[in-house]
Amino acid sequence: MMLHLLNRSPQFDGLYWDLSEAFGADDHLLLIEDACYAALPAAAASLAAFGGRVSVLSEDAESRGLLGRLSDDVALVDMAGFVALTATFPRSLSWF
Amino acid sequence: MIDRPYDVLSYALLVHAAPYSEQGALSALRFAQAAVAQGHRVSSVFFYRDGVHNASTLMAPPQDEVHLAEGWRSLAQEHGTELLICVAAGLRRGLMSAEESARHGREAHNLEPPFVLTGLGQLVDAMLGNDRVITFAP
Repeated sequence: MMLHLLNRSPQFDGLYWDLSEAFGADDHLLLIEDACYAALPAAAASLAAFGGRVSVLSEDAESRGLLGRLSDDVALVDMAGFVALTATFPRSLSWF
Repeated sequence: MIDRPYDVLSYALLVHAAPYSEQGALSALRFAQAAVAQGHRVSSVFFYRDGVHNASTLMAPPQDEVHLAEGWRSLAQEHGTELLICVAAGLRRGLMSAEESARHGREAHNLEPPFVLTGLGQLVDAMLGNDRVITFAP
C-alpha cells in the first residue's frame, strides 16, 4: 500500500509511464502542484493506468483555475485530506 | 486527552524545493501546518539541495506574500519541530551559521536558530525514527 505523490504536469509523460509501472493494486495517486492538470478530462489518457485510484489536491487545482473543470473520476481532497491519505498509507513515494 | 478517530503519527518532511522558485517548499509548509492542526507531530523537516535556501535569515518577500522562513520558524517555536539544514548543501550555497562563518573567515552569516546545520545522519535518524517521511520535490 503506497501513496504516490506527483507534482509534474502530464507533459512529463515518461514520468507518468514510470509511475504506472510501479503502481500496485492497493496504491493511490495524489496529484499536487502542476500534476493537477492531469485531472482535466482532456488529459484522461495520462491517468488511465491508475484504475481510478487518483485524487487531486483542491487548493492546487483552485490556484490554477481548474476547479469545476476536472474529471469526475478524480476525487478532490483538501490539505487535511492530503494528511489523512499519508496517515492511511504507511509509505509514500514522491515522483519528480 | 482529545479523543481522535485516528492514530497520532510522527512525521519527518524532506524538502528539496527552493523557496519561491518552486512550489514544493510552500506545499511542505502547508502540509506541516495541516498535520499539526490534526494533532499529528511534525518532529523534523530536513532541507536538502536547493531547499536549504528556506533557512535564509535575510529572506525578505513582499509583505503580502507568504514568508516561508517565518512560517518554518513559527512551526519550530509552536510545535517543537526541528529544522535541519544539510550542512554540505548549505555551505555550497552560501548558507552559514555564525559559527561556520567564523570558521570560514567570513564577515556575515545568514542562518540562525531554530534552523541548524546538520548532516545526512540526521536525515537517516529522521527516516528511521518517525512513522511517516514525506518528500516535497523541486
